[in-house]
Amino acid sequence: MLINILEKENLVEFFEAMQSYGEVVAPVRATDNAHRFQPVKGIDELDLDYTRTMIPPKKYFIQPKETLFTFNKEKEKYLEPPSIDKSMVLLGVHACDINAMNLLARVFMEELPDKYYLERRKNSVIVGVSCTPDEKCFCKSTGTDYAQEGFELFLHDIGDKYLVRVGSLKGHNIVKDHSELFAAPEKGDLDAFKEAEKTRLSSFTIEIEMSGLQDHLDMSYDDPLWAEYAEKCLGCGSCNLVCPRCRCYDVQDYINLDMNTGERVRMWYSCMLKDHGLVAGGHNFRPTSMERLRNRINCKGSLREEMPNCVGCGRCTVFCPADIDFVEILQKVRGDIK
Amino acid sequence: MSNKSTLKPVKARITDIRKMTEIENLVTIKFQNPEYAENFNYTPGQFVKLGVMGVGEAPISLCTAQSDNSELEFCIRNAGRVTNAIHSQKVGDVIWVRGPYGNGFPMDEFYGKDLLLVAGGLGIAPIRGVLQYATQNREKYGEIIVLYGIRSYDLMLFKDDVLHYFREGDAEGVKLYLSYEDQEDLVLNGLVSERDDRITNGLVTKLFAIMDEPADNTVAILGGPPIMYKFTVMELEKMGFTPEQVYMTLERRMKCGVGQCGQCIVGTGKSIKYVCKDGPVFTLWDAMNTKGMI
Repeated sequence: MLINILEKENLVEFFEAMQSYGEVVAPVRATDNAHRFQPVKGIDELDLDYTRTMIPPKKYFIQPKETLFTFNKEKEKYLEPPSIDKSMVLLGVHACDINAMNLLARVFMEELPDKYYLERRKNSVIVGVSCTPDEKCFCKSTGTDYAQEGFELFLHDIGDKYLVRVGSLKGHNIVKDHSELFAAPEKGDLDAFKEAEKTRLSSFTIEIEMSGLQDHLDMSYDDPLWAEYAEKCLGCGSCNLVCPRCRCYDVQDYINLDMNTGERVRMWYSCMLKDHGLVAGGHNFRPTSMERLRNRINCKGSLREEMPNCVGCGRCTVFCPADIDFVEILQKVRGDIK
Repeated sequence: MSNKSTLKPVKARITDIRKMTEIENLVTIKFQNPEYAENFNYTPGQFVKLGVMGVGEAPISLCTAQSDNSELEFCIRNAGRVTNAIHSQKVGDVIWVRGPYGNGFPMDEFYGKDLLLVAGGLGIAPIRGVLQYATQNREKYGEIIVLYGIRSYDLMLFKDDVLHYFREGDAEGVKLYLSYEDQEDLVLNGLVSERDDRITNGLVTKLFAIMDEPADNTVAILGGPPIMYKFTVMELEKMGFTPEQVYMTLERRMKCGVGQCGQCIVGTGKSIKYVCKDGPVFTLWDAMNTKGMI
């Protein structure tokens, strides 16, 4: 692993350097208590001292709504939209979100390579930044509090400097092209990194034991707890939209007023909505909100590539309008609380 | 050439439409690109996404066995927006196809075994593919027993095949049993007078009482509505079928067919599966270990 040191006083220059790799997208304070990823023009717009955005950065790889194909009935043709050549620098991504995107990358880049995902990832530079957990973060429990891969550079705050881990050749080239901004780490920097990590890891206030959780979920299939929470659940699907790992999508065809041309559109979807399990003819495999809630929690608690399908970002809890606490449900599933 | 690496559909044309019931048509299609047709390899139990431009796509079972790929048949019930659009199409119209998707029945693993096919309603569609495959490769399989449950004669699908095997199947080693719900049905009551050892009034599970005892090496293959599986499995277990001897094909909402869109999810944290990719064919052992599957 290659590491470098970036003095915080060089951050403005670093930001300007990053602008040469594409439009910089970074966390911006949107309201008093919420951040969002959005394009920024200057470093004064962004705020790296944030906990979580409401919508995860997955929105830049799988957009909430996008055209899969345009079609023309007379010509009897489906056409793929033109390639995406816009470059982007996603700056200030936390480890949980990077780990979430690593799973999305498996689904959208390996199993059935998705043109959009491939192009967007190819055209993007991901710069991670370390963070301090708040009272809803539990990424340590899910093993996703540290990003091993899936970024170009990762900035660890060690006081008045960042220790920068290089995660890809692209990242290495960025450092090389702007070597004047970076320095080799000294012993003190490494010590500071280790201290910062210790502090970070000791700052978690909630946890969920993941060991064997999958069996606990299976055993709790008929537990009354699902009905209890379903009683509170509004079935709005917010938890899916804010989840960095939720990737369910729906597909709809839209035809234009000429009744000839149109498009096939893919859009984010939610397993909490009633028709997620509905088939033609009217049978619904998950007709009640109890079944839908249970399905979602089980999906999140399942293992994907040896990792839970949840990265512990806390968004579903924080942004649930019915105040349903995801960790509390899992603690009940485990029997940690009654 | 396969289009399995993209969600982009391939063009085919409807070459024949046969009305099977008030709501079900047998639609025959032909790929427009011969190269695609040649490389369209599938096994019974797999499915395709059939689409109508501007309307959408629906997952439809392949109900034939692979032979000459120039044409494919689909039993299409007018049950939703897409299938309704397919029903309003005419011979010569374009229909869009992608696939085949899913695992299909492991027909090779069934070599040398007897087959017990149990179908209810529209579930006969994938089962018909199995039957066609087994009869086309007759020497590879032992005795074939088919149990088919329907409500009434009007709703019977693949009438030619079904009546053929009901009346003359024995000569080909196929015993076909029928159950029907409508006691007043004249045609089916007529069939009772033809062969009362092969047809009974009631649900498909009633046929277990009148069918010949299956051999120990029999594989049971089920296709039907969700409710049928539960009761059929109980009968099979009573007869001594083990969980790995029972196969079934599942229906779920599917948008992509490749395990991406997430809508066909089943199971718990322990056992999440995507029916389109991990199935749609599962064994009873899978079902026992995957809550919510049946």
